[in-house]
Amino acid sequence: MPEIKVTPLGAGQDVGRSCILVSIGGKNIMLDCGMHMGYNDDRRFPDFSYITQNGRLTEFLDCVIISHFHLDHCGALPFMSEMVGYDGPIYMTHPTKAICPILLEDFRKITVDKKGETNFFTSQMIKDCMKKVVPLNLHQTVQVDDELEIKAYYAGHVLGAAMVQIKVGSESVVYTGDYNMTPDRHLGAAWIDKCRPDMLITESTYATTIRDSKRCRERDFLKKVHESIERGGKVLIPVFALGRAQELCILLETFWERMNLKAPIYFSTGLTEKANHYYKLFITWTNQKIRKTFVQRNMFEFKHIKPFDRSFIDNPGPMVVFATPGMLHAGLSLQIFKKWAGNEKNMVIMPGYCVQGTIGHKILNGQRKLEMEGRSTLEVKMQVEYMSFSAHADAKGIMQLIRMAEPRNVLLVHGEAAKMGFLKGKIEQEFSIDCYMPANGETVSVTTNPSVPVDISLNLLKREMALGGPLPDPKKPRTMHGTLIMKENSLKLVSSEQALKELGLNEHQLRFTCRVQLQDPHSDPDTLHRIYTHLKSVLKGYTIQHLPDGTVMVESIVIKVSSSAEDTNTKVLLLSWSYQDEELGSFLSTLLKKGLPAGIC
Amino acid sequence: MDRECVSLLPRVCEVLRGSGSSLPDDTSLEKLLDWFTGLTEAGGSVQETCPCLLEFISAVVLKTSSDPGVICFTLKLSGLIASTEHGFKTLQGSVLDMAFNPQHWRDAGLWEDPCIRIGWIQGLRNMLQHSKAFTFFVQADFIVPLLQLQTDSSLFVASAANQTLAHTLVFFQPGGNGTFKDHGKVERTQTSISDEEPFSQDYSSVLGTISQFLKESLLPKENTGLHQSQQVLKLLALLLARARQPLRDKLLGTVADSLQELVAAGYSQLTPPLMDIILAAYSSSSTDDCVPDQRVTRLLSSMLNITKPSDLIGAAAAFLRGGRHHQDTVHTAWAVRILLLPLHIVTGQTLLGTDTTVEEHRFSIAEKLKIKTSCVSMICVCLTHTPPITLMPGDLLPCPPVSILTAVLSLLRIVSGDSSSLSSGCSEVFRNLVGSGKVQKCALEVLTGLSSSPGMKDKQTEVVTVLIQYLNNPDSDPTVIHKSYQALLKWMSVCEDVSSLTDNFKQDLIDVVKKRVCDMRWEVRDSTVEFLGKLAGVLKQGEETCGALLGGCWSTPLLREALQDPESYVRASAISALAQTLEPSWHQGAAVTQGQTDIVTRLLEILSQDTEAFARRAVVQYFIAWFSSRSSHTSPLSSPSSSSSSSSSSLRTNSVSSVLSLGSADLDWEVKVHTLELAELLMDEACSGHRGYRKGSDTPPALRHPYAVISARPLGEGAESDLAGALRNLVEQGVVWALLSGLVDCDRPVGLKACQLLITLRDTVCPRPPPGASPATAAASKVSCELPGCGWGREIRKIPGMKRLDRVKEADVAHRTRCGEVGIERTSEGGDSVCVSVCDILSSLGLDEKLDELSQSSDHVHNSALSLLQDILTASAAHTQQDTEPGQEVIVDCY
Repeated sequence: MPEIKVTPLGAGQDVGRSCILVSIGGKNIMLDCGMHMGYNDDRRFPDFSYITQNGRLTEFLDCVIISHFHLDHCGALPFMSEMVGYDGPIYMTHPTKAICPILLEDFRKITVDKKGETNFFTSQMIKDCMKKVVPLNLHQTVQVDDELEIKAYYAGHVLGAAMVQIKVGSESVVYTGDYNMTPDRHLGAAWIDKCRPDMLITESTYATTIRDSKRCRERDFLKKVHESIERGGKVLIPVFALGRAQELCILLETFWERMNLKAPIYFSTGLTEKANHYYKLFITWTNQKIRKTFVQRNMFEFKHIKPFDRSFIDNPGPMVVFATPGMLHAGLSLQIFKKWAGNEKNMVIMPGYCVQGTIGHKILNGQRKLEMEGRSTLEVKMQVEYMSFSAHADAKGIMQLIRMAEPRNVLLVHGEAAKMGFLKGKIEQEFSIDCYMPANGETVSVTTNPSVPVDISLNLLKREMALGGPLPDPKKPRTMHGTLIMKENSLKLVSSEQALKELGLNEHQLRFTCRVQLQDPHSDPDTLHRIYTHLKSVLKGYTIQHLPDGTVMVESIVIKVSSSAEDTNTKVLLLSWSYQDEELGSFLSTLLKKGLPAGIC
Repeated sequence: MDRECVSLLPRVCEVLRGSGSSLPDDTSLEKLLDWFTGLTEAGGSVQETCPCLLEFISAVVLKTSSDPGVICFTLKLSGLIASTEHGFKTLQGSVLDMAFNPQHWRDAGLWEDPCIRIGWIQGLRNMLQHSKAFTFFVQADFIVPLLQLQTDSSLFVASAANQTLAHTLVFFQPGGNGTFKDHGKVERTQTSISDEEPFSQDYSSVLGTISQFLKESLLPKENTGLHQSQQVLKLLALLLARARQPLRDKLLGTVADSLQELVAAGYSQLTPPLMDIILAAYSSSSTDDCVPDQRVTRLLSSMLNITKPSDLIGAAAAFLRGGRHHQDTVHTAWAVRILLLPLHIVTGQTLLGTDTTVEEHRFSIAEKLKIKTSCVSMICVCLTHTPPITLMPGDLLPCPPVSILTAVLSLLRIVSGDSSSLSSGCSEVFRNLVGSGKVQKCALEVLTGLSSSPGMKDKQTEVVTVLIQYLNNPDSDPTVIHKSYQALLKWMSVCEDVSSLTDNFKQDLIDVVKKRVCDMRWEVRDSTVEFLGKLAGVLKQGEETCGALLGGCWSTPLLREALQDPESYVRASAISALAQTLEPSWHQGAAVTQGQTDIVTRLLEILSQDTEAFARRAVVQYFIAWFSSRSSHTSPLSSPSSSSSSSSSSLRTNSVSSVLSLGSADLDWEVKVHTLELAELLMDEACSGHRGYRKGSDTPPALRHPYAVISARPLGEGAESDLAGALRNLVEQGVVWALLSGLVDCDRPVGLKACQLLITLRDTVCPRPPPGASPATAAASKVSCELPGCGWGREIRKIPGMKRLDRVKEADVAHRTRCGEVGIERTSEGGDSVCVSVCDILSSLGLDEKLDELSQSSDHVHNSALSLLQDILTASAAHTQQDTEPGQEVIVDCY
């Protein structure tokens, strides 16, 4: 039976680095190629040796698809393509292709900063990798090869995030990547066709959470920033180069405008320009409101948000600063943090998750005394706030997507095992479909019933019609008899005569023969006649003939009689029939084995 | 072990023991285990230093209600502790039996979790380092569950089981020299493995069980399918690659017949693992200088005669890839013929000559080539192996290497739809190949590889013609164009005389490059611009031909145009390419043209205005290229004003201050590092030849001890004033500012580079005077520079040593207006700037301590074991708090 196999190398019951292998219709596809930021060695990348030895990835994989620009989804791509060696096609949307290198560069910097990090890609490798990427447009079917096609759908999560449908023949898989079912300040909600895939591979980050309205979180965020500014404090928001930083910028910009606030807002490392550039370029990927207002005013041209200069750190008075990197590992955000941490009027807002080994992780867990270089201690007096602004579908959103796509099976990735388990139960109960949650390295196989399209010859249809059959109707399947021939990769049902003609073959008749021994003390012609009479009485309604050449024929079955050389009373009956009359032939041989009734003359 | 860590461990163990749910960070346990592994490998005894670990292991094993991740960690840790005989004895007395008893975990309903199975296998693997552990392994009959796990549903479990099985047989094999190197990890010595009777009995029994298993499981059964055979083959490959005699012989003896049967069965999926085994056996037997085992040779012959075409090609390719073909000329020649056959069929080139030995496969291969998917993959495999084939001795080849090149070229023509190639070869296959990007890319890469094969030079014109056709072809995708450029460069670089190329070719090349540099796709524009840069590099190697191809410098205007490209990658490539095309005259202080001045002005604009770092980095590198190649005749200490205003030296000198000030104020760390590299070049130039100056800043600090002999030559008056002049130049050019601002930068690589350079400068211009002598560099010590009152200037002044200096200077405010001997005035925005002697600054910054600090990883404090333990504790406390007070839960989401 044809089957679809899914093996997560990453994101199987975890949220480290997404990398999922799908095998469908003889094609092998890698979905996302992410990096785990919590490791400083090769463990941060998926272990590609499980796919194939000797780096023969190009031979094995038909394509790689990247759902969006977050590093846990694309961070290992240059490693795979330029260092392990993969030369096949890589697909991602236009915005993802544009933004990916910025985040990869951002992370490359961190690795250089951490001494002793080896085996990491260079800027040139990032560029060379990006040059291999084939960009995708939404809702456009892209033919990877003659059989494999992919189609991207809007996922909402970040600018350019896409869900992707993979199709080989009539089998299909949908991979959601990260997605969001509710629109936010700059992005719309995810949407997909009712495409009824054989398998829906969905993220499940918020598998058990029903998230409060984003409005509440936004109000809370603005209130906290405002309070801090009012009391003369400084607010630090560590962010990654692109993503939720833009959403928070829009939020603050609008608030500043409305409240007529004067405190400066800064954004580090010239990223505002860059972000503006991309958001302008990819305005079609933002939500309706932004697109509508774009004509009058570009939401990403900020009046209040100015580029940051290092010398501003010590400026007196309140200010808000967005600085990279987002987990307070190193660089400017860390430098500002160290300077401001000692003042209780200041505040740091962590808008996302931080991995272990970073200061972000420590302060999120409530550590207030941090050991710094040279055994010195930094006392964190500033207010520490965590506000998750990541845009993932919550439990309700995931169910909504399943309802939208109507898959035959669901497979959960990108989430914690316990939470997945809960959601799995809910999905199976509500939709009565199978739901899987493989751990990394485990393979899930589902069998499919692909419908194979077959052309039917007109002659065959006409013949069927002539026999009084109904007109062909796609809604009413029925059985057709004919010869199935495969020519140039397509299947055709034709009459056997046409098949012989098309294939240039001669017709052969297949006949079955069998010998039956019979005790009958008569001459051979008499025995034959006795058989004729017997069959005449038994087989009513059949054509039975006693032919002059010394044979009896029942339909196509030929019966001959001869005597045994040793014993003339033992007659050997030779039966022969064509395969169309197989049933009758078998019946006759069984009947004759029983002997002839005594009363026949 | 750190005392603080030891004191925290009991509490950490308690937290881990108590955690019923996953830890907030899934990497914590692995990092904790890394730390213990490091300690063990360094010879420490983890269980003695931290007795609480034993208690922790017992508790987790007995309780079984911990999180599976914690149990997995515990099993691995137990194995680690038991990897020494002493640790083993300690654990054996308590929980070792229970911890590694699979039934114990099955009873607890946990064995189903792959995490537990992985922990069990890796724990065993960690432990199996000495004979006592081996005996334990045998007595507990662990071989049975381990063999079962070999075909586990989890890839990770199955692979770990295979590794452990292979380790067990190989590590304990008799007759070895007692060392086993495990994937680059620490080399362990089998000190305790003896040839004692019970041990060898145990080994034989394990070997017997595994051999029996291999024999029985190699051939696929109805219910297991090919999966089990694949796994067994993987195990065999691992074993044969590492086994010595007599183990290898025994293994081969056991499986040879089954392998032969498997080869005969012709399962396509098993071809690669079968070839892996044959090659593993082949190469390990050859390394012992033995004649390859007859059984292996027979297997190889069978593999190279499989009837299925794609398997046959795969086997031949694997054999050549294996690299052992030098000793086996018969099979090599055969494999070569097989790999050339598809090319022979497709292109109609007579690659096989009159040789008819592979004729029997011709029909089946030709038929397979008529199917699109198999055609493309088969052709690619064959193509990939052609470059090494052309390097083989002639007697192994059925044709001269140049014929192979001709075939590749003709294939490239076919794929691009060139109808003139359709006359020969197999037309039914053509339609499968025309337009195939995969074949195009593969063939172009092969073409690049073939450039260095013997006897190819005559074909150069034909090669470049095909490549230019590819560059011209509107259907070529960006990767194909990129690879065409690479091939073209390679062929031009191996060419002895570029001028031998015809004028037509040159014009065609110029035309296509002009077209492609304006392509719609940035990838194509970038590859084109990169090509121009590299081409200049290639052509520079043969100076006389430079003019021939770059006649009229046609590429420079194109590159100047590309500086305006909307894509920053292209702008950056254009700048790098311009640096490559810097003409020798630029380096020699010749007069500059308006065009050259314009380029420099444009580059400075980019450095100050471009929003993307790639372009700005390239600008600084351009100046580095320009400065590093300047001719040696320029006096290192010449004052900028002494140069003629129209010369390239003058242009360079005028631009350097701008580059340094813009570059060191940049927001991108790499721009800053490159700026410091430029500063280093200027320092090299100014100070080389002076006492104590070490070119290059990478001298390890250990070599710079205070009593190092610096120079025996007494420093004359003239040299001393030169030194002062040099330092003054460095101040004027902005080098000292760049170094000082870099020192307090927030990015560690920038700070480190600046610190290294400042130390070099300090040791050159203001070395500590020998006791009793008068300061020899009095003139240099008078050179001062201004420190701005804000920004980095303020940071510098906050350094403890500098505060003292600042106080002295504050008393002398008037001094501020006339800065230093050279009287340069700099204005700064806000804050009071002060003038300080450079030598005073350099000696007050505490550079040596700073270097120690910066040489460490920026996360060394927070990635330490102590920090990890603290994180586990605080995370657990935060988790407990969240249970009581409702707060926002930190959910692991994305980054």
